[in-house]
Amino acid sequence: MSLAADAFVSQMAAAEPWPESATLYQPLKEDQILLSDCASSLAVQAYLRMCSLPVQVVCKANAEYMSPSGKIPFIHVGNQVVSELGPIVQFTKAKGHSLSDGLDDVQRAEMKAYMELVNNMLLTAELYIQWCDDATAAEISRPRYSSPYSWPLSNILAYQKQWEVRRKMNAIGWGGKTLEQVYEDVSQCCQALSQRLGTQPYFFNKQPTELDALVFGHLFTILTTRLTSTELAERIKSYSNLLSFCRRIEQNYFEGKSS
Amino acid sequence: MGTVHARSLDPLPMRGPELGVQADDIEALDIEQEPKQEVLENKDVVVQRVHIDGLGRTKEDLLTYEIAEVFRARNLIDVMRKSHEARQKLLRLGIFRKVEVVIDTSRGEDALPNGLDVTFEVTELRRMTGSYNTMVGNNEGSMVLGLKLPNVFGRAEKLTFQFSYGTKETSYGLSFFKPQPGRFERNVSINLYKVTGQFPWSSLRETDRGVSAELSFPVWKTNQTLKWEGVWRELGCLARTASFAVREESGHSLKSSLSHAMVIDTRNSSILPKKGGLFKIHQELAGYTGGDASFLKEDFEIQLNRSLFWDSVLSASLWGGLLLPIGDKPTSIADRFYLGGPTSIRGFSMYSMGPQSEGDYLGGEAYWAGGLHLYTPLPFRPGRGGFGDLFRTHFFLNAGNLCNLNYGEGPQAHLKKLAECIRWSYGLGIVLRLGNIARLELNYCIPMGVQSGDRICDGVQFGAGIRFL
Repeated sequence: MSLAADAFVSQMAAAEPWPESATLYQPLKEDQILLSDCASSLAVQAYLRMCSLPVQVVCKANAEYMSPSGKIPFIHVGNQVVSELGPIVQFTKAKGHSLSDGLDDVQRAEMKAYMELVNNMLLTAELYIQWCDDATAAEISRPRYSSPYSWPLSNILAYQKQWEVRRKMNAIGWGGKTLEQVYEDVSQCCQALSQRLGTQPYFFNKQPTELDALVFGHLFTILTTRLTSTELAERIKSYSNLLSFCRRIEQNYFEGKSS
Repeated sequence: MGTVHARSLDPLPMRGPELGVQADDIEALDIEQEPKQEVLENKDVVVQRVHIDGLGRTKEDLLTYEIAEVFRARNLIDVMRKSHEARQKLLRLGIFRKVEVVIDTSRGEDALPNGLDVTFEVTELRRMTGSYNTMVGNNEGSMVLGLKLPNVFGRAEKLTFQFSYGTKETSYGLSFFKPQPGRFERNVSINLYKVTGQFPWSSLRETDRGVSAELSFPVWKTNQTLKWEGVWRELGCLARTASFAVREESGHSLKSSLSHAMVIDTRNSSILPKKGGLFKIHQELAGYTGGDASFLKEDFEIQLNRSLFWDSVLSASLWGGLLLPIGDKPTSIADRFYLGGPTSIRGFSMYSMGPQSEGDYLGGEAYWAGGLHLYTPLPFRPGRGGFGDLFRTHFFLNAGNLCNLNYGEGPQAHLKKLAECIRWSYGLGIVLRLGNIARLELNYCIPMGVQSGDRICDGVQFGAGIRFL
């Protein structure tokens, strides 16, 4: 998102309080949504719950195309439409809701660095496994991605998406990686997160931040989603503090007050 | 006996899918010609041979159908007339640049004393032709680059490729056209295209990629067209500020539809007719042949023209349409009807009436529109017989309505809804005919019956288009 658009969103947002009718859009939960989209969507939901901002989740087959940036998820608040976690955090901040206000500059920089790490490693690994691993692409990603469409549009869109992701992977240098190397990257990322978390309940001690929401979204989705191989989940399961971190957020924010 | 050249019997009205410049205002020439050779007038003759000179890649069997009638001629006048008709048929195929007819007495051993030989001297079109032109559509202009291969396989098949770069859209199309030998009106065509359009009145961008197959044939006085079309449609918002209702329609859909169109056109010109009428009915059924859009769409257009005193023409037209969704899925914004603008209900902005959300017009599922025009020549008739004849002044009265139907209320309620809150307008203006495919209008309009949400254009309104109310 450009700076100008950022400024525009913040300005517009400040004017009104958070409405009861806020909605979050994501693809169809049962048949369509893919691991990476599900993780991003869960991260935003966790963030909004941490902020105690009510949001209703709506599943739409064309959510990806409705989103102004083409990315999942996006929220519709009042007459504003904002997509992805970063801009949504900015947006809520402009409305006076923030989780990272208590942090000092060093901590905030550290938080941003870890968020970048998660996006660059976990999200990219998810995309890689979904679209660049032939077995997963053929058995899970393409059929699910194309499920709302009729033939031959379903095939066209699925292959178009796969081609687009593969091109992106080549551009960032992931094109030549093997599956094993990707699992290794995930392990390293988890190790870094595990070390940073240590024995604290959240990454910055007592209070959750957007980093916690992001990490929870990705790890929880990977742990609970069935793929062609369980290898990815296994890698995460070897870090017990990350597992209990996921359990903690699930208990605190999702159980008992499920909407 | 000398030769009789039949080349002066021009010009022929071109019909069919060729959108060339048509010699339109010239009244159809009577083919009955005064006999030039009195002596031969009633003498029986036999057409012994018909030659076609100058054929390159054209297959002869195609032409035998076109010239078969010439053999049936029994006297000279008949020969001339039938040769002329054959010449017209040959030119209509769109594969010859020039056709000349030479009629001569038979020579050689088996020549009969009253035998005639008819020779068609033809010049074929080039294997490939390119074109460059500018086009005016409904309120937009575009530059069109075309590539045409007439007579690809020697039987009047035509392959055309068009690439157009316009103010609002870029598109391309590839089409293959094949007439039935001997019956040019019966033809099939197959098209492949991509069209991108931007519709600021709906904040909508649409990209269509499609394939269609079409069969046209005449039945009695009508022209019938059957068509199958498969389109992959991609909708998106034009801007971040698009209304959420339009955003919700974003994404991909596949429409596979069967449609039928029937046209009866007895007008002498399609842009500024003096007499005759037009009746057009179009129906489209989508969803039964696959795809995810399911609806039945009916649409009709009637126009009647009548010449009055002092070269003035009274023209009345009526349009109507209905879109019924099949199944529980609501209709798509891309399938609904739009109304308003300088070529339909004047005095309203382009497609800016009816159901809307935050200023974006969503279209309606039912509409009707009627127009009454009085066309007169320009006051004092400057440029009469020349440039001035391209212009007309007109007085108009337009009315119409566009709405959504709630499908539980029954037909009575629907009719009532269409009759409520009618938008109408009146005014006067100048019409300029552009070739035989488009016209420009400069009008002073007074819109009436404006409903909240409608965007009006009170006063002077300029419009260009190809379809008119």
